[in-house]
Amino acid sequence: MADALFLAISVLTIGSAIAALEMRSLVYGSIALMGTLGGVAGFYVMLDSPFVAMFQLAVYVGSIAVLILFTVMLVKRELIFKKIEDPKRKFAGIGLMLIVILALGAVIMDSGIKTISTDSDPVDFREIGGDFLTYYWPALILMALILAGSVMGALVLARREDTIENEQ
Amino acid sequence: MSVIAPKFRLGYFLKGIFDNAFWILTIVTLAGIPAIQIVLFYLELPVIDGELLTAFLAFTWLFNPTMQVPLIKALIYSDLFRIVAFPGFGFAALIAAGTIFVERKMLAKLQLRVGPFYCGKVEGILQLAGDGLKLISKEIIIPAKADKPLFWAAPVLFVGTAAAFVALIPVAPGGWVVADLDVGLLAVFAVIGFFPIITILSAWSANSKFPFIGGIRALHQMVSFEIPLILSLLGVVILTGTLNLSEIVESQSSFPWIIFMPIGAIVFFTTMLAELERIPFDLPEAESEIVAGWLTEFSGMMYGLVQLGSYLKLYAFAALFVIIFLGGWTGPVFWPPLETEIITEGIPIPNYAGDPILTVNAPGLPLLDQDPNEWVLQQQGELQYTSGQLLVSGVIWFVLKTVGVIFFILLPRGVFPRIRLDMLLHIGWYKLIGLSFVNIFIALGLVYAGVIGPGGIL
Repeated sequence: MADALFLAISVLTIGSAIAALEMRSLVYGSIALMGTLGGVAGFYVMLDSPFVAMFQLAVYVGSIAVLILFTVMLVKRELIFKKIEDPKRKFAGIGLMLIVILALGAVIMDSGIKTISTDSDPVDFREIGGDFLTYYWPALILMALILAGSVMGALVLARREDTIENEQ
Repeated sequence: MSVIAPKFRLGYFLKGIFDNAFWILTIVTLAGIPAIQIVLFYLELPVIDGELLTAFLAFTWLFNPTMQVPLIKALIYSDLFRIVAFPGFGFAALIAAGTIFVERKMLAKLQLRVGPFYCGKVEGILQLAGDGLKLISKEIIIPAKADKPLFWAAPVLFVGTAAAFVALIPVAPGGWVVADLDVGLLAVFAVIGFFPIITILSAWSANSKFPFIGGIRALHQMVSFEIPLILSLLGVVILTGTLNLSEIVESQSSFPWIIFMPIGAIVFFTTMLAELERIPFDLPEAESEIVAGWLTEFSGMMYGLVQLGSYLKLYAFAALFVIIFLGGWTGPVFWPPLETEIITEGIPIPNYAGDPILTVNAPGLPLLDQDPNEWVLQQQGELQYTSGQLLVSGVIWFVLKTVGVIFFILLPRGVFPRIRLDMLLHIGWYKLIGLSFVNIFIALGLVYAGVIGPGGIL
């Protein structure tokens, strides 16, 4: 059962990733990208971490994919359907991907992942939250400060001098 | 009077029904029953309790009064019933249908009109059924240059996403929810995130100006109001320490959270109006500016599906408000318990003089209970309420509260004008997000002051 589910999610993820690259229409490409991100969420559910899976759905499928769709829809239609084919680059890309995947796979297989027992209890997300608030609180505060700083920087950059006064 | 069907007579209608019945009976007799017999001849029938389960025996079981109650009970506690009927789609669709009727009549009364009046003798109560029949029988028109697969998929996806939202809503104690997730609230946020995608895809696929403008407006509105929506609920999560919606309800057994976080409730209600595209935030469907917004090109049952989805979404949002701020199904239990003799001995049926002449034994009679032993425990005083009692009164309290919230969602439609897009975004980004942070700090203050939460006073 779990193997069949794993295979189905893998086919969905990889298939829609290939479709996202190969689709002629950019809108369908971004829908296929949504399928890839949703498949990754399925992997998280299979790995006993529904918390991460739900955030994957809410953030990546719900927000990032919407941003991509929005950008695609604002692009001119001629640009969407423009066709640039170069078989050399395509084969070079496939070769590069195979090399990277083989290297990463060799590293992961060599790292002792086979000795991990798979039937241990999953880590509860409450424990992770508790750790964040007790032992790792400086890291949390640092991340919060960096995020706040970047948001403020974005606000400063996006500020315009010539804005009309509030006309409510 | 009617031009579409000028020759309508009741006699023709009845003749049509009788003709159909006649032909169905004839065909079943001549072809259906022989076909069933041929199939049964080749079929291996199972043996149950040493008896061959023939079709005759199966029907006998099905229509045996002593077997019916257990059969119905088994049906009620099956997963299919949960998904299709009670806490799932059917229940929500029923409330959605009631909402549409109440909305039209109430809006009419607010605006000194009469509203639907002719269908059904009483106040146009059959108007909704008539509208549904009309939508089903209408032709589905697809614009010539539309992107057909996406255009077809959008209404189905919209209803599917709304049904997924409904499936996460717990209705009564004892696990009456389709999907009881440990991360239920996060799942709600994930499901809400799908609505803008479907909206913008359907708007784009129609390849028409008004839907596209409406879709862009909907995208602006939904994406920017999702942030205060999520933030306004975090206060309750901080206080309860759980994301499971059933546990959030159970944490409010003595007081609802709206007492401590009215600001969060107000922010959530406002964002709810915006997410549901209701007046004063109905810019995506502004009918006086852009025809019907992103719904312009839909026709027939596709439009019907989108409407069904949006009303399911309305029910689900109102139910979420009830669950998180108003205490869900908690309330006084008023349903009386059943007599123990009915379970142990049966129902006595008296004659005219009052003497019992007959006792009806109905095994498994506590229809709404998972465990009949609860009655015995309750009689011994070890259990305060049985789960059947809790279920009935819980559902009644839940529906009452949800209907009240739906009323307050409908009410602004007769009161407020539509606001401008920049004002809407201003409200969302400047005011509501700030207020929801205030709400989070109130929750943190309550936790750290030791009032609520683990080891608190309350």
